[in-house]
Amino acid sequence: MTVEPALEAVDLKVSFGAIKALDGVSLRVDAGQILSVIGPNGAGKSSLLNCLSGVYRPHSGRVLFHGRDITALAPHRRAALGVARTFQGIQSYASMTVRQNILAGFHCRMKTGLLDALLYWPRAQREEREFSARAEEIIEFLELEELRHTLVGELGYGLRKRVDLGRALALGPSVLVLDEPMAGMSVEEKADLARFVLDIRAAHNTPVILVEHDMEVVMDISDQVLVMEWGRAIALGAPAEVRIDARVINAYLGAEEP
Amino acid sequence: MLPSGVFFRDFAAEAAYLRTGPQRLALALFVLALVLLPALAGAYLVGVITLMFVTMIAVLGLQITVGMAGMINIGQSAFVGIGAFVSASLASKLGWPFWLTLPAAALAAGVSSLLFGLPALRIKGFYLALTTVAAQIVFPIGIARLPSAWFGGSSGLAVEPVSIFGHALLKQHELYYFNLAFVLLFALLAFNLKRTRVGRALIAVRDNDIAASVLGVNIGYYKLVAFFVGAVFAGVAGALLGYVVSYVTTDHFTLWLSIWYISMLIVGGMGSPLGAIFGTVVITALQESLHALGNAAAARFGSDFGAFIFPATNSVLGVLIIAILVFQPHGLLTGWNTLKAAYRIWPYRHHGG
Repeated sequence: MTVEPALEAVDLKVSFGAIKALDGVSLRVDAGQILSVIGPNGAGKSSLLNCLSGVYRPHSGRVLFHGRDITALAPHRRAALGVARTFQGIQSYASMTVRQNILAGFHCRMKTGLLDALLYWPRAQREEREFSARAEEIIEFLELEELRHTLVGELGYGLRKRVDLGRALALGPSVLVLDEPMAGMSVEEKADLARFVLDIRAAHNTPVILVEHDMEVVMDISDQVLVMEWGRAIALGAPAEVRIDARVINAYLGAEEP
Repeated sequence: MLPSGVFFRDFAAEAAYLRTGPQRLALALFVLALVLLPALAGAYLVGVITLMFVTMIAVLGLQITVGMAGMINIGQSAFVGIGAFVSASLASKLGWPFWLTLPAAALAAGVSSLLFGLPALRIKGFYLALTTVAAQIVFPIGIARLPSAWFGGSSGLAVEPVSIFGHALLKQHELYYFNLAFVLLFALLAFNLKRTRVGRALIAVRDNDIAASVLGVNIGYYKLVAFFVGAVFAGVAGALLGYVVSYVTTDHFTLWLSIWYISMLIVGGMGSPLGAIFGTVVITALQESLHALGNAAAARFGSDFGAFIFPATNSVLGVLIIAILVFQPHGLLTGWNTLKAAYRIWPYRHHGG
């Protein structure tokens, strides 16, 4: 394996007071790979993603993007590099329409500055048209055509999660980080979303880091599974290996069985 | 919501402000009415509307800071005041023409707003609102304490009238047209801002700042942009106000005026420049009609009654605003949009958001 990892985290540590949210977690994801992160609530999955996208700065450890150290980079600068992320729960822009949400996702690919925006002269108009067309491609891919002018705040949960994904796709991601994209969805919605994730990978070879509780989905679509407990990684491997790991069964899978 | 049967073949047509023939006709008639108004209305009404235009520019600016970017600014009238004093001083003491005093006033207000907007990088909500009140408190003290050769100190400044090609604008209808041109221009700028990348970034910061930053929006920069642009509008409004009233003192720019600006925005609807326009018109109309009513009552029942009626009109105004907010909590603009949608889908029932 001489391939340079698309995104790599080395020995991340984050603590809140006496609580160690992350206690030396490392991971790497290569082009075309889907890496799932699983673990019980409070295992540190969201803290890990927050370190990757720059919302938290780890107390020690490093985050590398294609070999470049981005540990100290602000979230919006990472986004410009192509680290795109969706969130737990609903974090889309509720007062914008579906298309505006996706256009907002193009933010760091567009150039219109303050003066261009106020004057809305031909340069700004041209860019607006060009990116509207690109937004429509994403809308078509996610099958949201009928809803393009609907306010996102009026959409149901599953659709809003889909808009979240679209907004992240607008970034033209080199790494896609998805935080519980399927939580609270119906079986059909989960199947749709899993299909979208697989399609994205197939189309652009985009590496995906996925935090998800639904074990069936995780085992189905992941190449690698990282299992966390109490801020530590307790197992890493292919789904089939992780499934039979005694520590994992004990910590996570076993705990859920009746 | 568009009338049934209207659709677009390209993004340019879809993005246009005026998308159908009737819309173009309506706007043309509206502008024509504005142009003809001084010929039809009395001098007092023309004066009231001229001042309303100035107020509208300040409220359009406030809509950018408060409405789009979601940062409550209770110091807008201080930025209007900064614009007014800078422009008045440059016009009267250095003899600068309006096309130089207006940009200078805009810039002065914009830059000073950055000072009070800086806390926005760290704090939100009520705490931030309080720092904008600081602008309101510092402003009159600053003007009074600075050398009176600069801004006239506490006694204020007289403003030389606007001069266009050597012709001084002194008549009421001349000032009306002068301000009409600016309010149309700044309304256009506000609408433009909303529908571009910058406007979306401001709304993204309001709707969800963490998500916005992770998706590439430099939230610190856009918070300052929101303050700056909002105050630039205020600065221009201040300069224009100086030319209209021809004398500026700090008494014009009180916390009360800022609160009026905010209430205009809330009553009209925060989400869009159209809300700012609606709110300014409705509140000005209410203020003026109650005032006229109060005057008439005082003339009829004597000045003792007048002492009672004027505070009473303010209470009535307050009750009316509460009533508007009870029945249209998202502002009159929402009601207007609902009405339009209901008309277009008639005879079917309107449902949903």
